[in-house]
Amino acid sequence: MTKPLSRRDFVKTGSAATAAFVASVPLVHAAGQDKTISVGVIGCGGRGRGATEDIMNAAEALKPAANLRVVALGDMFKSGIDGTRRQHREKALFKVTDENAFVGLDAYKKVLDAGVDLVVLATPPGFRPIHFAAAIEAGKHVFFEKPVAVDPVGVRKVMEYGKKAAEKKLGVVTGTQRRHEKCYLEMMKRINDGAIGEVVAGRAYWNGGGVWAPHARQEGQDDVSYQIRNWYYYDWLCGDHIVEQHVHNVDVMNWALKGHPLRAVAVGGRQSRTAPEFGHIWDHFAVDFEYPNSVHVLSMCRHWNNTPGNVSEALVGTKGRAMSTSGRCSIDGAEKWRSDPQQRNPYVQEHMDLLESIREGKPLNEAQQIAESTLVAIMGREAAYTGKAISWDEILNSNLSLMPEKLELGPLPVRPIPVPGKPR
Amino acid sequence: MKNSQNEPTLKVGLIGCGGRGRGALDNVLDAAPNVQVTALADMFPDRIALARKNLTAKPGFKVTDENCFTGFDAYKRLLDSGVDYVAMCQPPGFRPLHFEAAVEAGKHCFLEKPVAVDPVGCRRVIAAGEKAKEKKLGVIPGTQSRHSRRFIETVKRIHDGQIGEVLEGYIFFNTGYLWEYERKPEQSDMEWQIRNWYYFDWLSGDHIVEQHVHQIDATDWVMKSHPIQAVAVGGRQMRVEPLYGNIYDHFAVDFEYPGGAHVFSMCRQWKGQGVGGFIAAWYVGSKGTAYLHHPSKEKAGSITGQNPWKYEGDETPSTVQEHRDLIESIRAGKPINEARRIAETTLTSILGREAAYTGKVVKWDELMKSDLDLSPAKYEFGPNPVRPVRVPGKNA
Repeated sequence: MTKPLSRRDFVKTGSAATAAFVASVPLVHAAGQDKTISVGVIGCGGRGRGATEDIMNAAEALKPAANLRVVALGDMFKSGIDGTRRQHREKALFKVTDENAFVGLDAYKKVLDAGVDLVVLATPPGFRPIHFAAAIEAGKHVFFEKPVAVDPVGVRKVMEYGKKAAEKKLGVVTGTQRRHEKCYLEMMKRINDGAIGEVVAGRAYWNGGGVWAPHARQEGQDDVSYQIRNWYYYDWLCGDHIVEQHVHNVDVMNWALKGHPLRAVAVGGRQSRTAPEFGHIWDHFAVDFEYPNSVHVLSMCRHWNNTPGNVSEALVGTKGRAMSTSGRCSIDGAEKWRSDPQQRNPYVQEHMDLLESIREGKPLNEAQQIAESTLVAIMGREAAYTGKAISWDEILNSNLSLMPEKLELGPLPVRPIPVPGKPR
Repeated sequence: MKNSQNEPTLKVGLIGCGGRGRGALDNVLDAAPNVQVTALADMFPDRIALARKNLTAKPGFKVTDENCFTGFDAYKRLLDSGVDYVAMCQPPGFRPLHFEAAVEAGKHCFLEKPVAVDPVGCRRVIAAGEKAKEKKLGVIPGTQSRHSRRFIETVKRIHDGQIGEVLEGYIFFNTGYLWEYERKPEQSDMEWQIRNWYYFDWLSGDHIVEQHVHQIDATDWVMKSHPIQAVAVGGRQMRVEPLYGNIYDHFAVDFEYPGGAHVFSMCRQWKGQGVGGFIAAWYVGSKGTAYLHHPSKEKAGSITGQNPWKYEGDETPSTVQEHRDLIESIRAGKPINEARRIAETTLTSILGREAAYTGKVVKWDELMKSDLDLSPAKYEFGPNPVRPVRVPGKNA
């Protein structure tokens, strides 16, 4: 019996075929060759610093190890650059010189021009479509954090450039690390094999206490700088927490249900985190997502301090239930299964998968997938913000754009907090 | 109905002459022969006058001036006026107190839903319900879906296994605003709150308890149990003016039932451009889906899946049927007593509310033992400060 070819087998056996396009694709080379992968990091906050660490660890964990160097950094603020350099200066793969450390709104362009092969995009999500498009134009492989946009206009841009990336054979992986986490992959395989029967319902939760406290406004700081510094609390930068965080859980629903919802009805508001320094985002949402075949998903997310948390998903099937949370998945019903507690850190695994796919000349491209999951979260947000039932087609074709028309440092009034039924 | 023409006349008194009270009288008079309405009680004379005006042409409406009572103790005088059957349509916060007195006085009771606004009230209703049982009094709540043929037939099929094991449920009560009552300068806190009762926790229990209890009650019926626990979100995002007291304008609750089934509840009172309403209740099982409520006529009262079925019977107004069922049971000497059931499903609604108000995972059994009591310090016209709107995670 012939075994289906794995990706690795395909690359081995198909070397003659692959050779034809090797020349046009950065970093594709036969195993054993030792071409350096130069990495630039755009957005040096907590996640950017974490992703820098993760990609370096991923390079070292690959067999053979990838010859990777982090060579350039870009951030809106010098403090982000300094913090990243301080954190990683001891690491062998971290080789950022003063000349390759860029500050300001156009730092991303300079990073793209600094001779990098791959960029990590970890700025506030509002910038992601612009930075992603520029990276693909410049022919770079991309690891971009989730979510990849904050509005439908941005989502469509990511979809468009995701297709261009595919044409250019560029690797695109996103920070929905559950897609690269062993226990999730095994659970999904079992679900696909019928372990819980037909999936008839789902639930997705991100109930937490919120994120970091806002930074005080510095004397003379302009609105845009202040908002970027406190990006979580502004829709045009963050997309609200349903988009910024809950996208993880929504993405798991899309994954399991092999598609996106057709319709969303929601509630939400700002009941606990109400002080003005928390900008204009809400602190809770609950969405009824209707997928094809009348499968409904309960989505609930909240940033309520001093309340119990729950970040998890559940899939309900005709023969059992699957429960999942980072590091632990299980199935109960006709089949009983518990995931192996031993697994690689998925934040490293996702970079390994990207690097390996590039090495093998079959670059992963998750752009469409994460663009859709991002749009699902946006659809839930807009259903709550407006009180309307929002259809997929409506949100996919929407002209909603939250980015200021002209992005430059200076005054930027904060839009009012959304009130359902009232145009903003 | 057998021989009911020969039954002794059933004398009905109404406590609470607002919109629902007037409707209930209409319903009870339509429900059975030999029924008379003989007494009215309300906090305010103008409400009594309106009820008399609206119902005066109705045969069976036999209310004299002497049998109209107002004020905080109007209910007591009504219970002393020779009625057999009391329809309780006052704001829910008063229900436990009035129900206790009615049972004490030996009256059959129609209790509008919900029957309480807090766990202490639920326990009082359960205790009074037990006394009613000893006294062979009929007690029925206004959760009319339990008396709707469409609901009864659908739930029967769920219980017969037509959709297999019930795995997940979905209940929605998304509506617009209701009414509101602006304060007049001469009105005390208490008078204004009672007139504008919907918007104060101690009177209405919030809209998840006051309205959504219908579907929550139906869900406990379908699931043959109350939930184990609830996790929720909720808030006040639109209806924020002092006119709207201290209740929320939206909730979403994840109720967990024994065996692992979850029910997703969403209710909101939102209005404005494009804001859509949605009232529905359906349950997904291992062999199909049963729809109790749905805006689509094809779906309401139907089962899809392995055992497709559609309710094709009539739609008797269940607000009449519930009185008919109670009166028949009384006349047959086997009075229905559903006090415990409605107190328990009221508590399920309160569970959802408290899960949102506090942000906690609230367990049904613990809530049933809770000392939470929203009733005011004194039942008299005068000052009654409004509790602040609840903030999850604070003072929880």
